[in-house]
Amino acid sequence: MAELTTDTELLALFRKPATKEKAFTGIVKKYQEKLYWHIRRMLVDHEDSNDVMQNVFIRVWNALESFREDAQLYTWLYRIATNECLTFIEQRKKKASISLNEMESGLSNKIRADNDFDANKLEWKLQLAIQQLPEKQRVVFSLRYYDEMPYDEMSKVLETSAGALKASYHHAAKKIEDFILNN
Amino acid sequence: METREQILTELKEVAPHLGRAGLCLIPFTVEAGYFEVFVENLMRRIHLEDAGLLNSEQSIGGISSTEEISGISPLLAGIQKKNPYRVPLGFFESLNVKIPFTETNPSKIISIPAFESDTKQAPVKRISIPMRLVQFAAAACFIALIGVAVLNTGKHQNTIDPIQGLTNVSDQDMANFLDSADIHWTPGIGSSPETASVDFNDNDIHELLSNVPDAELEQYSSALPVEKRFVN
Repeated sequence: MAELTTDTELLALFRKPATKEKAFTGIVKKYQEKLYWHIRRMLVDHEDSNDVMQNVFIRVWNALESFREDAQLYTWLYRIATNECLTFIEQRKKKASISLNEMESGLSNKIRADNDFDANKLEWKLQLAIQQLPEKQRVVFSLRYYDEMPYDEMSKVLETSAGALKASYHHAAKKIEDFILNN
Repeated sequence: METREQILTELKEVAPHLGRAGLCLIPFTVEAGYFEVFVENLMRRIHLEDAGLLNSEQSIGGISSTEEISGISPLLAGIQKKNPYRVPLGFFESLNVKIPFTETNPSKIISIPAFESDTKQAPVKRISIPMRLVQFAAAACFIALIGVAVLNTGKHQNTIDPIQGLTNVSDQDMANFLDSADIHWTPGIGSSPETASVDFNDNDIHELLSNVPDAELEQYSSALPVEKRFVN
């Protein structure tokens, strides 16, 4: 159902009690992989990503009935996922009483601890470089580079102007390039 | 979504070294079948939450505590969750929890046990007194206390000082009283006020009259009857 049904149709089905659960399952199946990788790139750890993704979809389940179709469903889902990630990172920092730098180095260590980690491969270097970026810049780079999201859509997710996002992406790309060249 | 070519072109302009390698894939992996079972785990958690059996904090990874303990230790999961502790009979019935005053609970609750002899547990009657009334009562008590203190102080001040009282009596009245009562006072002899008498010698009189001008003395002397003009 998920692949063959549009978001509008899924939302209409969700509003009917008889088909609510079926429609929600369709939405989850349609977007779970995209959202999972978006979250995973932010949090690195699979268990953390799994917890956050469940929280994201529980929020969606509770709020979807009041969702007005002013925005596209996937934009709304990305916004919830991004906010949940940032909240999770913030809570983790508070709980462990650590600074942003310590958090970043913690994520880098997690990357290095991955069974498949290969320091010579560019994709792993790129992951290490991304973790050096400030959180918001990391989100912008991730959405543009991996999700190939247009700036106007991204501006709806992050509620920031397209121009500011473009500047942020350019800064991020330069920093990543410098990191890769120097490491 | 924009085309991969557009993203890559932009990247080559901003960071040529990064763009030269093309767009990298995510190196992370996820266990096989994760996405197939994710929706099932999620729906199970949603059903438990909707039924009020679980909240977000209770669940880890979408499984209930029973399922979790079954996975960790089947032995523990098999043990009945029976509470071995006991409380005194009627403990929960007589439990009276005091609720601290908050903004949302504006009136204090005072518990007064009702006098009913036939009941096993003394029932509690609750009287709600608005906080504002309590404040007024406290203010009234304070004002009354200050009033009493002020009155007491005033009472002590109104006690008549005998010396001050004499200031209102004219010299003439005082002289008449002394003449009529024939009062004399001798220091060290008479302790009774009714029989007090004063004895002066010549030196005392000279000393007392030394500041009085002679003219005044002569004027006073001429005003006296002839028999009282000469002393001794």
